[in-house]
Formats: sequence, structure tokens, C-alpha cells
Amino acid sequence: MIQKLKKLLLLICVFSAHTIYAQTTTVSGTITDSSNSMPLPGVNVVEKGTMNGAITDFDGNYTIQISDKNAVLQFSFIGYLDNETTVSGQTVINVALEESSEALDEIVITALGIKKSTKAVGYSLTQVKGEEISNVKTTNAINSLQGKIAGVNITTNATGAAGSSRVVIRGASSLSGNNQPLYVVDGIPIGNNNNGAAGEWGGNDGGDGISSINPDEVASISVLKGGAASALYGSRASGGVILITTKTGKNQKGLGVEFSSSVTFDKVNTSLNEYQTEYGQGKFGLKPVSGADAAAIGLNAWGPRLDGTSVPQWDGVSRPYSYAGNNQENFYNTGITKINTIALSSSTDTSSFRFAVSNLDNDDITPNASLGRKTISLNAGTVVADKLTANVNVKYIIEEANNRPRLSDAPGNANYMTQLLSPNVSVSSMNPGMNEDGSEQQVLSGNPYITNPYWAANKFKNKDKKNRIIASGSLRYDVNDWLYVSARAGLDHYNIRRTSLTPYGTAFSALGGITENNISYTQIDADLIIGADKDITDKISVNALVGTNTNHVQNEDIGLSGQQFIVPTLADFGNTTNQSGSRGFGEREISSIYGSFEVSYDDYLYLTYTGRNDWFSTLSFPGKETPNDDFYTSLSGSLIVSELIELPEAINFFKLRAGYSNVAGGAQDPYQLGLTYQIVGQGHLGQPLGNITNTSVPNQNLVAFNKSEVEIGLDARLFDNRLALDLAYYKNETTNDIVPVAASVFSGYSSAIANIGVVENKGFEFLISAKPIVTDDFSWNTSFNGSYNTGTVISTNESDGDISVGQPRSLNIAVTQIVGEDYGTLFGTAYARDDSGAIIYDRSSGVPIAQQAASRKILGTGVAPLTLGFSNSFKYKDFNMSFLIDGKFGGQVFSGTNAAARGAGLHQDTNPNGGRENGLVVSGTDTSGSSFTTTVSQADMETYFAPVGIYGIAEASVYDSDYIKFRQLSIGYSLPSKYLDKTALSSVNISFIATNLFYLMTTAPNIDPEAGFNVGNGQGLEWFGVPPTRNYGFNLNIKF
Amino acid sequence: MRKSIYMVLLLALILGACDSDFEEMNVDPTKPEQVDIANKLTITQLYTSGSRYEVWRNMLIYNATMVQHLASTDTDLWVGDKYLRNDGYASSQIDRDYANAVKTIEDMLLQVEQEGQPAEMEAIVRILRVFVFHRLTDLYGDIPYSEAGQAIISNNLAPKYDKQEDIYADMLNELEVSAAALGSGMSGFGSADIMFNGDQTKWKKFANSLMLRLALRISNVDPAGAEQWAVKAINGGVMTSNEDIALINMQTGPVELNQSAFGQVFLVDDVSLSTTLVDALSGDPRLPILGARASDESSAIADLQGFPNGLDATMLANSTGEEDMLNYAHPNRMLVGLDAPTVLQTYAEVELLLAEAALKGWVSGSVEQHYNAGVTAAMKMYETLYGSAAAVADADVATFLANNPYNAANGMEQISTQHWLATFFNEYETYSNWRRTGYPVLTPVNYPGNVTNGTIPRRMTYSTSEQSNNVANYNDAIASQGADVMTTRIWWDVN
Repeated sequence: MIQKLKKLLLLICVFSAHTIYAQTTTVSGTITDSSNSMPLPGVNVVEKGTMNGAITDFDGNYTIQISDKNAVLQFSFIGYLDNETTVSGQTVINVALEESSEALDEIVITALGIKKSTKAVGYSLTQVKGEEISNVKTTNAINSLQGKIAGVNITTNATGAAGSSRVVIRGASSLSGNNQPLYVVDGIPIGNNNNGAAGEWGGNDGGDGISSINPDEVASISVLKGGAASALYGSRASGGVILITTKTGKNQKGLGVEFSSSVTFDKVNTSLNEYQTEYGQGKFGLKPVSGADAAAIGLNAWGPRLDGTSVPQWDGVSRPYSYAGNNQENFYNTGITKINTIALSSSTDTSSFRFAVSNLDNDDITPNASLGRKTISLNAGTVVADKLTANVNVKYIIEEANNRPRLSDAPGNANYMTQLLSPNVSVSSMNPGMNEDGSEQQVLSGNPYITNPYWAANKFKNKDKKNRIIASGSLRYDVNDWLYVSARAGLDHYNIRRTSLTPYGTAFSALGGITENNISYTQIDADLIIGADKDITDKISVNALVGTNTNHVQNEDIGLSGQQFIVPTLADFGNTTNQSGSRGFGEREISSIYGSFEVSYDDYLYLTYTGRNDWFSTLSFPGKETPNDDFYTSLSGSLIVSELIELPEAINFFKLRAGYSNVAGGAQDPYQLGLTYQIVGQGHLGQPLGNITNTSVPNQNLVAFNKSEVEIGLDARLFDNRLALDLAYYKNETTNDIVPVAASVFSGYSSAIANIGVVENKGFEFLISAKPIVTDDFSWNTSFNGSYNTGTVISTNESDGDISVGQPRSLNIAVTQIVGEDYGTLFGTAYARDDSGAIIYDRSSGVPIAQQAASRKILGTGVAPLTLGFSNSFKYKDFNMSFLIDGKFGGQVFSGTNAAARGAGLHQDTNPNGGRENGLVVSGTDTSGSSFTTTVSQADMETYFAPVGIYGIAEASVYDSDYIKFRQLSIGYSLPSKYLDKTALSSVNISFIATNLFYLMTTAPNIDPEAGFNVGNGQGLEWFGVPPTRNYGFNLNIKF
Repeated sequence: MRKSIYMVLLLALILGACDSDFEEMNVDPTKPEQVDIANKLTITQLYTSGSRYEVWRNMLIYNATMVQHLASTDTDLWVGDKYLRNDGYASSQIDRDYANAVKTIEDMLLQVEQEGQPAEMEAIVRILRVFVFHRLTDLYGDIPYSEAGQAIISNNLAPKYDKQEDIYADMLNELEVSAAALGSGMSGFGSADIMFNGDQTKWKKFANSLMLRLALRISNVDPAGAEQWAVKAINGGVMTSNEDIALINMQTGPVELNQSAFGQVFLVDDVSLSTTLVDALSGDPRLPILGARASDESSAIADLQGFPNGLDATMLANSTGEEDMLNYAHPNRMLVGLDAPTVLQTYAEVELLLAEAALKGWVSGSVEQHYNAGVTAAMKMYETLYGSAAAVADADVATFLANNPYNAANGMEQISTQHWLATFFNEYETYSNWRRTGYPVLTPVNYPGNVTNGTIPRRMTYSTSEQSNNVANYNDAIASQGADVMTTRIWWDVN
């Protein structure tokens, strides 16, 4: 095609050889993309050595007056290789530019969707293609990025498929505020509220916002890690920004159809479980003598060695006193997740669209838990009039989750009993969990709060249905070739209708109850931007913009609660004795003006300055003296050393970058500034009830917190771009952090809100990627990324007191912010020790009882500082294989499950070498100060372990949470094009995918080291979550 | 043309950044800025009646089993029966009272001052305050009192612990001053007062009766002071009949706040009567009213048996052969309805305190007369509280007194034992009085893992959060009172 064009041009040139040249010559032509012949607007055409230039219009046409008929015209455009053509007397020069596939001129999407060349970016930004999350799909799209991006720490909580994720970039910067990043989808921020979370008293995770995004529709994800990257987003981006761009129909000739289908199976992974399986249910070395005895003994495996004899169990039935199999495998099902997407796209010269429909169906491993999600999305763009383009994105999502599993505390939590049953008691004997009269068949006579697992899974119901629309529209008017005006407005609106049922006949709530909630959330975001992109001289060019933004969020929660059903079989609000209702409401707005100014010199030096001023409604209050606005700036620069000086041949590209920024944050919740009262419920005996609502002392003079950051980095490509190296070092400090300063329980309030927290994070990120082998048939790409972050609490309040941000039900340990220590320190009860470090025991009863230290101690840090990811992909002809291994190091976890297992006689610690019959040798110091060594007999072991059971000394159950996991595997095959040429298909890919296959190393016993029970700031606590799963399946992708 | 375009753009830019209605937006539209003080009184009284959380953990699980009214073989939940440790349960009263009752009381006192309410309303709030605090100090010893609940009022997030001796001195003074400020007729609170319906006379009797209770409490550690205050109380006028009982009526709903704490506990849990109690009630007409067999609610005397404290299921099976809880007596269901009233102080208790005052020679008057009046009131009051099904016939009262007459030789033991019986289900008071008098004599239990060396605990432990949130004051309290363990003696507990 190009050859033909060149021949034509030559002919024209020959014919026009007789034309007389004037002093100035007009040259014109059309510039196209060599891969698809589409015209390219915005291409720079410059007469080399002069200031004379032009830009191609919408049709790719240009016209330029040149003075010298032998001038050289330079054609350049971001993302394409530069072209130089000598005029040689021609008047029409058409050029087809080749897309630059090399990283030297990669485009990345930065703040506000502005596309920049990698060269111009003065801060750390990682961009991944959509395939990274659509190849191996998970039900929450963001989880597929785990281990792939340095500095981005993703954790999920142990709640099965419908759960939320916690994403923290470069360490948590606020002591108690929201540390998750801002998610921007196609230019508009979306709500990522966690609609319900489990706390120390239990509950279930209500899902988050980012899980609504369909991984098949994601074209690319840009992670803006530091302040310099995200400063243009203002106060909501103090935790970084994740920019998601969905696929459009551009560059699709004719009608394109894409179909993806994946099926994965989830099986509970019990390989981590090493509980003892030799001793059965009982206490003090004795078996239960009757059904009632067994029901009273409950979750205690302190009986004698399993001997196969017939022994009564909780329901009065006698069964063999032998190992009944792994109860997790007995109870949990094989989960299935099916994700199907079909997309149509097309484009013409002036418009393009992509329409996609997707369905996700998940049956979770917990019986009766499921998730369904349907998404319809449309991306359309068109030229409306001369110089005016419009884009519209709409996504409509319908999501229904059934029976999200409960976590943490026992009531209604099927995981609890399943994980604590004695080795001879099978959970299957508890199915279906109902007595003849339909009430809960209680397994333990002493504690009605520990629910029969089948009753919990089958009868407890919670259901939420979410209808969500994320839509945005934008208009762009190109005033002339260097000035534009664009306006964008976006909406994220969802409505959740939730029902939660405690069934009639539940042991701890005989008459049951039901709650109904209707939650609505609306976020409206609008921007108006004026931008300019102009070459001032032939070496200096300026790219600037000025804009204004309004962001308004409103949410409302209307709830009904009915307790004590009247007619047992009707689970409806109207059928209850005690009814009450409530309405919660929140509204906040942020108004801003902002600007960005980038100047570049000769394509090797770039400097960008941004400034933004936000006005917050959440910091406004009648009579407030401190300001309700904040101004922040950033300055970043990049220097392409490889274009400035001569470097060794091995180095193709070497860039140094540095940035400084300050951002504000916090102040996201309204109504925090004033003291408010409430009228409570329907009164008592006809009298209204009123009291103060605040449990935290409000602060009328609150201001936003400030986070300043310095970062430096380098980006190098070596050996013909076969080796790429990206290093970054950053240090940031948050001051005036809005913290609830812990108040003594005696003050009547749990905390007071103040602006005095200071947190510092510093760290190092690296990404090394290489293509060690590239041949025609075989290629191998490898990349190794990692980050090391230490977050330190510099100050909390005037007396530098501690702030607790989360604790488990046992209340014996809390994730606490302590001055001078790591962010998120685990602070809890510890062993009393003598000066040599030996544990002090009280031996007065004959059994050594470990003593608890008088004050709590620092037992570890809840967030691992070092994360590493190692991924490899191989391609051999039409086959491909890739795998990802990741690990986290240096953190600790408090495991409630391990503590309970120890008190219950299940933990492997309770079965010493040689068995319990030979006793357990214990050494320590007794309360009088003398050392001792003694052997604890089998009958006394239960008493010995009681102090380190479920409510006991926390130190005994704090473990290192280091792990290395084989996280993802994908083996695929693409049908060779020769088979497809005769069909309408343009590509067919099929792959086998697997996640979480096995651990190469893990230090915490019996549990998934990544398990937590919520996604808040209190990380490092584990308490009876859904066990980890292995997932395998297939993925098929067909393009027409 | 160009200029006007730029003007429009500039204007758009500025308009986009306006914040004019932000101040109104940040005020919660669903909440008022102040409420009527009467509404606060009602909710404080509801808080005082107790919620399931702390009544279950402190009153029932710990106090009731330690004084051997109730017994349980469960070792997970009912830790008090065997003196096992559970920090969260022990501190539950603090964890709830300060955030609810104390905070609202301090807010009311502020509002009384700001709004210039009449003196008798302030007096009522102060009497209620003494009631709330005396229970707390009797459970824990030294506690924050003068600086408590004032985080918003005086920005004090770390109140100091006051010595119990000082707290008692102040409480007694408060009662005296408040009683003096009360007149007759209805108070400004009106029917918002769900304890006495605004009746100032009844409040005065309650204030003096409470003064009498506190006076006897300190009788071992400060006999002279105790006598002084007891005489003041008696002269001021104490309760004279079961109609004066200080109680709070509850409702069956709509939410837990309206319901009796006992009712909520016994909806989900159950416990048995201790054999100590059942044996003490032998020949006493109250036995079938307080207890019933768990399996069929039979209240025939022959069907009512308790079991000893300090046993687990296996030990009970081995000792009595009967380990099915259903065959033992549990608290009678009449006492545990969701709308059963919560009793703060009874006339029976007052008569028994008067008997003790007479025994100590502080007042003239017949010890026997007061003793008999106390026992009679204690037996008759169940009808007042729970209805006619709980009535004890006058004849039965007379028979009992005839068979078990007052004997001056063991006067203190008899009076205290009757006090112990009369305060069933007002376990805080049972526990305090038992510690002071030592009667009835209880045999402690010694179960493996107990934290008191086989002795009955003498106090509850503070919230463990104090070790991080109020370290300096917490340490001062320990230095002054003793280690924060269940065996430490509080100031008045010198018996």
C-alpha cells in the first residue's frame, strides 16, 4: 500500500517538474496511521530548522508554506515514530506514520485523563493493560492486580467471592481516615464505600464500589502513586489514584464482536491446617459419657486418644471415636464462577462506539452464598460539528448478593463452629441444623451464640440488590490548533435494597428478627477546563490547563427493623412485635479551581507545576474561625539524560525524575463539627427520649490534613530495550491528620477529634523487567517488582496517647497507633516475664498457669513492609504460559482462630512430640522467682493451655505473616491465523487459569496469612473468616 | 467577540468555585440542636435500669454467682461461678455506664444551669447521679467521679480517679443537699420521670433511703461517720411501705432499650439457682416465687433443687448424678418478663437497714420490730412487683416468722441473711452488703484456673483500655488502692 502511494507521488512529482517554483511554496497532504490508514489529526508538521509549522486537522490534512523547495519536513505525533521527508519540489506529501511500539515514546494516561509521553512524566506512574485483569478474572476486578504493581498493596478479607478489597498505595498516610485510593473510571470518580463491614462483634462485609467494574471491559489501568501524580485531583487523592479507562470502539473497521467466557472452580484449601487429629472431644482427658455431656463439653478436644469405640456425641447419637475427616472439606462446597461478556464495537471517520453486555454468576464455597452481576455498558464518541467532539460513557450494573458469609464473632457465623469441632465430630452430622419444630438444633448447650453451621448457612439470610449507573459525558471544543475548552460531567448513582434475617428459632434469638434497608448514593462530578498546548519556540513548548470542578455526594439510608416474629413461618417486617425505623442522611460538596503548567525544553527536559484550591463543605460550620479551604501544589520534573549526553551503547534510554507535592485530605464525612442530639426511638411509657448522639467529641475548628511528598526516581532501558529498570524512592509526611484521640472510657466519650496526627511514610519501589529470550518462535518476558515501605507514627495528640483503630472480639489486642512506632501496631496483652525473658507461671494450683504482664506490649506490626512480585510469561509459537509469584514479609498477624484452637485442644501445640500421654515439658520461672521445669500431665493440659485460649494472652497468638505464594497461572493457546483467515473470526484464545494454587512458604500456622475481617485501618487481625480457596478454570476469548 | 468569550469563561471558572451554602449543608438535617431536659431524664433512668450487656456480665455472671444466688456449670460464659477471669465482662459496667448514664447526667446538669431550671429538678438529677456512681464505686473502688463524663464540658479526656473515701463523702453530702432542696408536689419533670412520676416526696424518701444505705456501707471503716449519716437519713424520712419502692417500669418493646435487661438475658440464656440459695429458702414461702423447675416451670417445693457453685458439667454429674440443667430450679419466669420492673431499692431493704441501725444502738426502737417489718415487706413486695401470681399470703408470712423468730444472739447474721434474700435480682446490692457484713457465711469454690486463689472476689477490674488511654491516672489509682485484680479490697471493705 505504501509502495503504491510512493509510486503515485513520484509520478505526480515528475508531471509537476515543469511547474515554476515561486518564492514560497505551499505543500499539503494527508497524514495517516500506517497500521489502519486512518487519518491522524493533531500531527505536528515542521519545516526543519525553522519556526514554521502546521498541525493536521480532523481529516489528517495539513497545509504549510515553505520558503525553500529543498526543505525537510518533520512529521511528529505522540505514539508514533518521527518521520522526515525532503520536499524536493513536491507540493503534496502524504505520510503514513508508524506506531511506536517501543517504550521510548509510550503514552500513559495521567491525571484528568491527559495523555502524556513517558518522557514527560516526572513522577512514578505504572500503567497496565486490561489483559492483566481480564486474563485471570476474579469477582472483584482489582484483586487481579495483586503482586503486579510495586507500591500497591492489595488485601482482601476472608469473606468469599463477594467481598471487598483494601488497596493501599505507598503506605497508609492517615492514622484513622480513609487510606484507599480514588478510583476514576473514564474520567469520573466513583464511590467506593464499603457498604457494611464486620467489626469485633461480627457482621458481614457489604461489598465495595470497585467490584462493580467488569474486568473484560478494561482497556488500561494507570496507577498514580504519589502526590505529584495525583495533585490535580485534590483532597480525595491523598491515597493515590487508580485511573481506569474502559475499551472504546476506536480503530475498529467494520463491526467488531468480542466474546469472552470464563469458568472457574473454587475449592477450599485445607493444606494449611495442621490441627491435631489424634485426640477427640472431651475434657481433662475423659470422653463424654452422654449426649448431654457432649453438648456441655462442646468445642473442647481434650479427651483421650481416639480409639474407635462408640462414644456419644452432641445429639445423643453414639458414633465411633475416630477421626471424622476435615470438617472444612465436609462443610464447604466447590464454588463456581462464570463470567461471560459479549461486546460489539465499530468506528467510522467521525464516530465510534463499543457496546458490551456481561454476566457474572458465582456460587460461593459457603453453602447458599452467591453473587450475580450483570453489566451493560456503552462507550460512544463522535464529532458533533466542526472542532466539536463529544464522548459518552454509560455503565449500568445490577448486582445481587445472597447470604454474604458472616465473619469475626460467632453469632450467625458458619465458619466459627466448623473450624473448632473436635476431630471425631463431623460437621455433616449437624446438617440440616433444625429440630422437628423448625428451631435451631443447638450443638452446644452452654452457649447459644455459637451457631450451628448449617443453621447459619441455610437459615440466616441476607440479600442485597444493587442497581448502579455510572455515566459521564464530555464535550471538547478545539478553539484553534493550540487552544481547547472541554467540559465533562459524570454521575455515579446506586441504590441498594438490603434484607437481613435472623430466623425464627435461632438459639440466641428465639423469635428472630428482620431488617430492611434502602440505601441510595449519588455522586455528581463536573469539570470545565481550558487548555493550551503550544510550541513557543522550536525547542520550548508549553502544555497548560486551568479548570474548575464541583463534586457533590449525597447518601441516604432508610431502615426498618422488626424484632420477634409473630407467625413463625413468615419472614416479613409486618409480622413482628417490635418495630422501629430510622433514617440516616449525609451530604457533602467540594468546589475547586486548579491549574497545571508544563514546560518542556528540546524534548529532554520537562517541568510541570500544578496548583489546586479546594473548598470543603465538611469543614464549614456557622461560627467557625479556621478556613474551610486549602491550597496545594506540586512540582515535578523529568530529565531524559540519554538525549542530553552520550551514554554507553547498552543504555537506550535513561530518565531521571523528581517531584515534590503537597495534597490535602480527610474531611470526607459531613456533620463532624457540631454537637448533636437525637430523639431516640418511640420513647418509653409514652415519654420521648433524648440524648447526645456524638460518641466522639467534635471539633469545630477542624481543617483538612496536609500530606507533603518528595520522590525521586529513574527509568532506564538497556540492551535494545530488552531490560527495563524503574526505581523510585519517596518520603511523605502527613501533618494535621484528623484523628480520633482515644479518650478514657470514664470521660463518657470514646474519642475526641483533633488535627494533630503526624504520620511519615518512606519507601522504595522497583520494577525490573526483561526479555531474556526473543526469537521468532519463543520469547520469555520476566518482571520482578517490589516495594519496601515503613510508616511511622510521629505524633498523635498533645500527650502522645495511643489511638486504637480496630480490635477483635476478645478485646485483648488492638491495632493501635503509637507514637514512635510503625503505623498499625499490634498492641495487646503479653506474657509476664522475668529479667531473663522466661515466662512467669503461677504454680500454686499444681499446674503452671502463665501469668499476664501488668501492661500491654507491642506485639508486631499489622502491615507487612516488604512486598515482592515475580511474574514470567513465555510464548512458544501459538502457546503461551504465564505465572505470578508474590510474597509479603515483615508483618505480623493476631490469629483469633489459632487462639481458640489452642484453648479447644485442636492446635498442634496441644499435641506435643510423643503424644499427650507423655506429658508436656514446661520450663519457666514461678511467681517466687525461681526457675523450674515440670511435665504437665494429660489431664492438666487443658488448664495449662487455658491462659492462651480465645480470650487469653494475645502474645501467644501473634505470628509472623510472611508468605510466598504461587498466585496465578495461565496456560493458553491462540488459534493460528491461517485457520481463521477463511472464517469471520479474527482471533481465538483459550487458556487454563488457576489462582492461589499453593504456598511456597508461609509462617503463620493453620490460617491464610492474608486473612482479615474487614478492609479498614485495623489490619493484622484474623478471626474466623471463610477459609482460603484454590481456583482453577478456563478462559475463552473470541474476536470476530 | 474574543473578549466576551474570555469573560464568559472566566465567570464560569469563578462560579464553579463557590462555597456559599456550605455552612448549612454541613449541619445534619436529621438531628436537633438541643432537646428538652425531661427527655434526657427519661433516657438516663432507662440507662440506670440496666441494659442486657452489663446486667448479664456484671450483675448476673459475676455478682449473682459469687454471692451464690445463681449457679452454672458453664465455663465459657458464666465465669463468675468459678472466679475465672474475663476482663471484658468485669469492666462491662464501666464500659456502658459512663458513655450512657454519666454522660447524659453531666449534660443535664449543664443544661439545668444554662436554662435556669428550678432547684428541685437539679436535685433529682443529682440524686440519680449518686445512685449511678455508688454502684460503680462499690464494684470497682476508686473511680473517676468529679472529672467524669466531661469530655465536651471541660475537654477532659483523661479524668483522674477519685478515692472512694472522697467519693462517699461527696455522695452523702449531695444526697443531703438535694433532699433539702426538694419540696412537695410534682417536679418540673412531670411524667417524664418514669421512677416516681415527678413526685417530690417520693424522691425525698428515696434520697434519704439511699443515704441510709450508704451510711451502713461505711459502718466498718468509719463507724462514727456512719452513725451520723444514718441518723440524718432517718430523721429526713425514709421509705415507709412497699409503695415507696424505687423502681423503673419496662416495656416489651419496641427496641431493646425499652425492655427489661433480665428479660433480654433470659430470652437467650438460662442459669440455675444455687443450692446455697435453695437451702436458705427452705421453709420460706418465697422459694416457689423466686424459683421454678426449668423443665416444666413446676414450683412444687419437692421439685425445686439447686446445685452447688464451682462445678462444671462433669463434676456435677459425678457429684449429684444429675447433670441435666432442666431438672434443676431456675429463676421463676415471673421475674424475667421483658416488661418486668427493675428495682433500685426496696422498702424491705430499708427496714433491714433500720434493724441494723437499732442493733448498733444508733437509734432507739426495737430491732425485732424492724426485722419483722423487713421480712414481711420482702415477702409481700413480689405481689407489688410482679402481680398477684407472685403473692405471698399474710398467713404464710406469719407462720414463717413464728417458726424463724428473730434471735438477738445472732442478730447481725439474721439481718444480713434476710438482706441477702431480699435483694435477689438486685445483685449489685447483695454483693456489696455481703462483702461488708460477711453474712451469710459462704464457702468459696476452688476451680482450676481461678484467679483469686479460691476466695470470693472483692471487686471487679477496670477496663483494660485504661492502660492505653489513661495510663497516668490508672497507675495512680493502682498505687493508691492496690493492684487492679479481683482480690484487692476497696476502701469500705475491711471486714
